[in-house]
Amino acid sequence: MNLDALAGCVSSSACLVTQISTALIVGMLLFMVTSGLSLIFGVLGIINFAHGAFYMMGAYFALAAYQLTSSFAVAFLAGALGVGLLGIVFERLVMSRVYGTDVLMQLLVCYAMILIADDVVKIVFGPEYKMMGMPDAFALPPIELFGGFIPAYYVFMIGASLLIGLLLWLGINKTRLGKTIRALAINPQMVGALGINTTLLYAGVFGIGSLLAGVAGALAAPTRTLTPGMGVSILIESFIVTVIGGMGSIAGALIAALLIGFARAFGAIGCPLFVDGLMFALMAVVLVVKPSGLLGREPAR
Amino acid sequence: MLSVQGLSKSFGGVQATRDVSIDFPKGSLSAIIGPNGAGKTTFFNLVSGAFRPDAGRVILNGQDIVGLSSLEVVRRGMARAFQVAALFPSLTVREALSAAVISHRRRSWTLLRRFPLADTAGRVDEILSLLSLEAQADTLSRNLSHGDQKLLDIALALAMDPSVLLLDEPTAGMGTEERWRMIGKVQQLWEHTGMTVLFIEHDMDIVFRIAQAIYVLKYGQVLARGTADEIRTNQDVIDAYLGTDHHVAAQAGAV
Amino acid sequence: MMRPGLARDAAVCAAGLALLLVLPLAFPQPALRDFLIYVMAYGLLAMSLNLLVGLTGLVSFGHAAYFASGAYMFGLLMQSGRVSIPVAIVATVAGTALIALVIGAICVRLKEIYFSFITLAFQMFIHSIILTWVSLTGGDQGLMGGIPRPPFLGINLNEGTALYGFCAAVFVACVLLMRQVWMSPFGYALRLIRDNPSRANFVGIDVVRAKLGIFVFAGAMASVAGVLLALFVSGAYPEFGFWTTSGEAIFMIMLGGSQLFVGPLVGAFLLQLLNRTVTIYTEHHGLVLGLVILLIVLGLRQGVGAFLFERLARRRQARR
Repeated sequence: MNLDALAGCVSSSACLVTQISTALIVGMLLFMVTSGLSLIFGVLGIINFAHGAFYMMGAYFALAAYQLTSSFAVAFLAGALGVGLLGIVFERLVMSRVYGTDVLMQLLVCYAMILIADDVVKIVFGPEYKMMGMPDAFALPPIELFGGFIPAYYVFMIGASLLIGLLLWLGINKTRLGKTIRALAINPQMVGALGINTTLLYAGVFGIGSLLAGVAGALAAPTRTLTPGMGVSILIESFIVTVIGGMGSIAGALIAALLIGFARAFGAIGCPLFVDGLMFALMAVVLVVKPSGLLGREPAR
Repeated sequence: MLSVQGLSKSFGGVQATRDVSIDFPKGSLSAIIGPNGAGKTTFFNLVSGAFRPDAGRVILNGQDIVGLSSLEVVRRGMARAFQVAALFPSLTVREALSAAVISHRRRSWTLLRRFPLADTAGRVDEILSLLSLEAQADTLSRNLSHGDQKLLDIALALAMDPSVLLLDEPTAGMGTEERWRMIGKVQQLWEHTGMTVLFIEHDMDIVFRIAQAIYVLKYGQVLARGTADEIRTNQDVIDAYLGTDHHVAAQAGAV
Repeated sequence: MMRPGLARDAAVCAAGLALLLVLPLAFPQPALRDFLIYVMAYGLLAMSLNLLVGLTGLVSFGHAAYFASGAYMFGLLMQSGRVSIPVAIVATVAGTALIALVIGAICVRLKEIYFSFITLAFQMFIHSIILTWVSLTGGDQGLMGGIPRPPFLGINLNEGTALYGFCAAVFVACVLLMRQVWMSPFGYALRLIRDNPSRANFVGIDVVRAKLGIFVFAGAMASVAGVLLALFVSGAYPEFGFWTTSGEAIFMIMLGGSQLFVGPLVGAFLLQLLNRTVTIYTEHHGLVLGLVILLIVLGLRQGVGAFLFERLARRRQARR
């Protein structure tokens, strides 16, 4: 515990600005990964344990595209669309065959998928840490705010994730397709009886959910070191976000993801050795006090 | 003896049970009837501790059991069988029943002896013969016929040695002949054990023939109560059923 | 109908122990002993997990946490030099049971899928503690300096044969213990919970407490598996508590069949065999393992054990 350091940071506006911006990007990345996971669970009723692997693939796709073209826009699209496509293929070839079987089988195919993805990345990119580096487009001087400095890319990242979150919310709540998807979550037979191709819709939802993980991976790529196996820790964190925010609530996921972001950013100063513990403590408290999560309807127990 | 006082429950804005008060005398056989959606199963769920009522009391053998979990309610002597027989598909009839008897005797935590316990076999055989399930004893529950599944569901409730037994549509999904066999079994059980029995039933012939007291629920309220003769001639009941179920309406109106 | 009793199981276990002890005498290559100890340690892990998965219907994805806790606690206790091996084992099992009690108290109330991912999350929490608390655990290098094996009661485990014999005896004792639980009235209460938890409540079973009870017992048994491996390799590594270890344990259960008591042990044997064969030919062992899993799950749509078991049952029925 280092409460002096924490107090020192909170009283210095420069440190505060830096930590808040860190909290925001951690939170927004987590939010995108979690909303994909939550969307897939809400509609298909399965937990995609391979979701973290999709995040990793997003980062590596972006890295590869960036090295080829030096364009961040292309890298971003490669990460997002590549993973979206991968998600659809995974759903069609693998996941769709274990719908309705017990959790054990779903868990196993996801486990297999993670093993394969990690090894393929190792084979293609090598086992060592990779850096993508800051794209040229963002090689701008950091933005000064209240004496603190925020890298231009962070601002872009936060803006982009907010925009994507908003689009997702609008898409689900305000469009015809969104309505159909919500209906699919509640009564798939009915949707099928209306002549809508539910198989296609399931694959599409899985694709969108995966795409969100890919987007998060691509956005994270310039700021993180890439390693095979980087997906697992974000998967665990997004589980925690899901529990805290409440399953199936996009707003809940956003609040919980930001909560975790702040816990991480300030926990790193206040109690650096206990950052993970802090997240778990938060989760345990929520599970005891409000099992359905902050904004969820369905209780976890 | 079971006494329900001012029981109410709403889900969202819908009042599923509204100020229901009924005394079920010890050893009585009572039927709960009412059109679909009248709140019959909700009533059972409230009484047995599966749902917590918004208001009201449920007095079982002198004790208020509102707020107790269904486990605690079972341990205080109220058992129930379900509309859709809720079973343990991978166990045989005898295994499921033995486990239930062992659990009722608070010996589920026995670790050093083997299942089943020899001293529970007598009780298991007794229940099997009460429900004429001896021939099916070694059949897996999931392979039982529909009627036998309902019987096993009741047998599991009996294993709790209940003083009050709730039966949610024991004859659901059966043909006429099978219904009468089932209800004969229920009546025989009741006579044999002296339990207080409440059952939900749609078939008016059955209700009028065996129930000592009949309670008609509609919109979660008690619309009428009385003996078979009283209910048969009750104008509210005839109105309530008219147009909802012609079979019943014809039955009720015929007298 | 004859019911297999404790005496019969004890006889089977004694025969199994005799076989385990004779095998290395007949084939004295050290590789065999090495292989068998791994099968025993991972078999014990998978069998203890199956008390949750197959018997109670609780799919835990974080069981390796207790495996790691067993290995590290035992290793640290022995390195402290203050206790003998049997005392250290008892203390390790008790300590792990306590950890399982705390985690289980939070997890067993959760719905199926939440249970899976929160157990996984807690496991990764423990894994991250192992990685970050370098001064105690050695971080990603694992517990350094080896685990001393001081002689006790005239048994010297620094000698290969004695070590192997000790591991085999502990393993068989644990199997017998788990078998007893599997066949006890408590085991049948757990089957009721697996088949229909809400109905189990209505036949008077305290579902939450029963689940917690088996969760703690399974954790304790997994810690013994960790002790055996730590004792044998004379160390403990963070991989013991990594999620892949839990994944492998689940795969072992599926390979051997979750409804057979010895299924997971068969699965552990098959997976060790597979692992060792694969590592001879390629370093991309994850890729191969992943493909094998996909092939089995999507091809058979069930475990190999369950598949063979059903085949056998059908043939038996056809013969009738």
